[in-house]
Amino acid sequence: MNPFEKIFNYQIASRLEDGGISTVTSHERSWLKGMLLHPAASEALMPETRLKLERLLEGVQALEPGSALISRAGSHERQVYHPHLRQLRQLIVSRSGFRITYEYKNGSAQTAQKGMPYKLEYSMVKREWYLLWYSQQHRMLMRSRLNGIHSVQAETLETMERERWMRASRIYLESHRGETIIQIVREYNEELSRIMYAFSCFEKEVAYDAEEDSYRVTLSYPRDEQDFLLSKLRFLGKRVRIVQGHYLKQRMRETAEKALRRYGVEISEMETN
Amino acid sequence: MARESFDKEIQFLRMLVLTSGAYTRSQLADRLGVSIPTVDKTIRNLKEAAGAAMAGAGDAGLDLADQLRYSYHGAADPMLLFLFRAKSVKASESVRIPLLLGALKESSLTVMELLDFCCAALPADLAAPDEKTIRSDLKYLEEVGVICKAGSGRPSRYRLNDDLIRELSAEELLDLYDFVDIMANTQIPSVQGYLLREGLQKHLSRSAEPGAGELASFGYKYHYYSRILDEAHLFPILSAIRERRRISFLYFSPKTEKSYSSRNTNPLFEKEAQGRKNHVLPLKVVYDHQYGRWYLLGWGKGSLIKFRLEGIIGMDSEEAVSEDEMSMKIIQLEDAIRYSWLIDTGRPIKVRARFFNPGAGFNFVRERVLLQGQWGEIVEEEQESNSFLYEIVVNGITEIKPWLRSFGSSCEIVEPRHLRAQMIQEWKEIASYYESV
Repeated sequence: MNPFEKIFNYQIASRLEDGGISTVTSHERSWLKGMLLHPAASEALMPETRLKLERLLEGVQALEPGSALISRAGSHERQVYHPHLRQLRQLIVSRSGFRITYEYKNGSAQTAQKGMPYKLEYSMVKREWYLLWYSQQHRMLMRSRLNGIHSVQAETLETMERERWMRASRIYLESHRGETIIQIVREYNEELSRIMYAFSCFEKEVAYDAEEDSYRVTLSYPRDEQDFLLSKLRFLGKRVRIVQGHYLKQRMRETAEKALRRYGVEISEMETN
Repeated sequence: MARESFDKEIQFLRMLVLTSGAYTRSQLADRLGVSIPTVDKTIRNLKEAAGAAMAGAGDAGLDLADQLRYSYHGAADPMLLFLFRAKSVKASESVRIPLLLGALKESSLTVMELLDFCCAALPADLAAPDEKTIRSDLKYLEEVGVICKAGSGRPSRYRLNDDLIRELSAEELLDLYDFVDIMANTQIPSVQGYLLREGLQKHLSRSAEPGAGELASFGYKYHYYSRILDEAHLFPILSAIRERRRISFLYFSPKTEKSYSSRNTNPLFEKEAQGRKNHVLPLKVVYDHQYGRWYLLGWGKGSLIKFRLEGIIGMDSEEAVSEDEMSMKIIQLEDAIRYSWLIDTGRPIKVRARFFNPGAGFNFVRERVLLQGQWGEIVEEEQESNSFLYEIVVNGITEIKPWLRSFGSSCEIVEPRHLRAQMIQEWKEIASYYESV
């Protein structure tokens, strides 16, 4: 199966759209049939819908590469669909507010908090769904694991209030961003591709200095994901060096010191050696 | 006509995405092994496809690299999907095919009825098609599954094969859209799923269900969105594996500066191609979640051999091998990669590491080790130091080392000694980077 097909061509696609014509190719049917074999299908689709789809896809060869395609070094796929998704996405689309009861990871519970669902988010690293929601009590955007949510009750939300909360949520996201500049240590330029791949899940800008043959990457990230960024930087080790961002530099220094201490090496000794 | 290849576009987009506009045109040309006019032409073509395929992205004043810049909170649509919409079609075809499908949307029609319809509906400046053209269009559309024969009568009548959309209720379509969105984003392969998602999205927004305009409420964090570029190679390779065929291709190792080289068709100017020509029996494709990269594992030159998909260009399929040979090689490969953290086929070695919980609250370290530690096991937990011992047998230490290092001071390597020594050395070097902080 070649994914480059005439029928997908952008000129054809935009004319089909203008004409209000919906098409489905055998490529897409075959992919869908393959995905219906995944356990998430039975959670995401009502039994009648699944049966209907199975009937509609009868005779279609499932795109199922089997053992010819394998994944490595990923997180265990513990969750793909979550039962709360349907209700929460409906609340988001219908611009509703809610009361939410949930618990933190340490077990402490919050009961019937008033708020507004903002966005549903899946972490490819944790393999888990999260809800971003505006909390009236905390006046800020919260992030809760769907697994930790006990119950959600829809509650009408006045348009004015909704607009205020939406604005506050956007401002929260914008103002809680950090920026740092990473230098690729030049002797590792050979590994540029690998390093850039590692950063490709971040918002970034790259500057290349041809004279120095050196690369600097400006990363922009939500501040509550700082720890994830640090783990990425530790993952890359000595290939990269933080050149701007005092807090991150300090954290890296501390980590290196503490790590060495685990092995019985003191930085002060190192410096005198 | 030679099969249209998108190798150049793929290499180009990858470079733009990974280095986010760091290079000038001449630096790009140099790294791609093409001329500056070729770079300009490629940018023009891609911008046209990107502009048409991505709503709002067609701003001519915007740099292509800016258009592609990753903005997580800004965009829910897979930006690089437009690559798969770049297959060229003749101008007449791009008008005729939508016309035919539009007619079939209303009712089922025969070839002659479609011919009449087309002749009447085509703009005056386009030449009217003949019966042969219409037949070949219909054959193509039937092959690609967009239309099908209606009933078994003669002459054949065709209809739009859109049951999948038509037979589902609005609510079911929303559920299907969510399912497709989730699966395309979290599973591999994705390209066909993204195409289906886009089709459903357009259909739903047309059907004007209340709130249908707000489909994009899901986000995916830490997503390697550039991985779909390599799916261009994935499907031909998977077919070759299924058919037990060898393939040949030029390979540019990602460690070399150049990632492409134009194929000069004029023999007078033919230069030595930059990459190496390889003949390989493909056995498996591996997706690496740590970097969002793909590998091809195969058999060539009498041994197991590994390639990064991103370095492959000019792929052709060759002769098939026997079933016995194929299964023997697959068994050999599976044996060799049983303990590969990624794809290392080196000697298996036992790694033991002690992990420490940094705080008193929820044990995030333990959770992450369980989540990402592959087949490794926690063999011993110690209450007093709030730590545990993790053990794993892996081929070589190179591939697991970055993961262990990513835990920082929460991880101490116990065994093997040389890994422990290396880790100490690396932490010393990292500490020296921040001495003055």
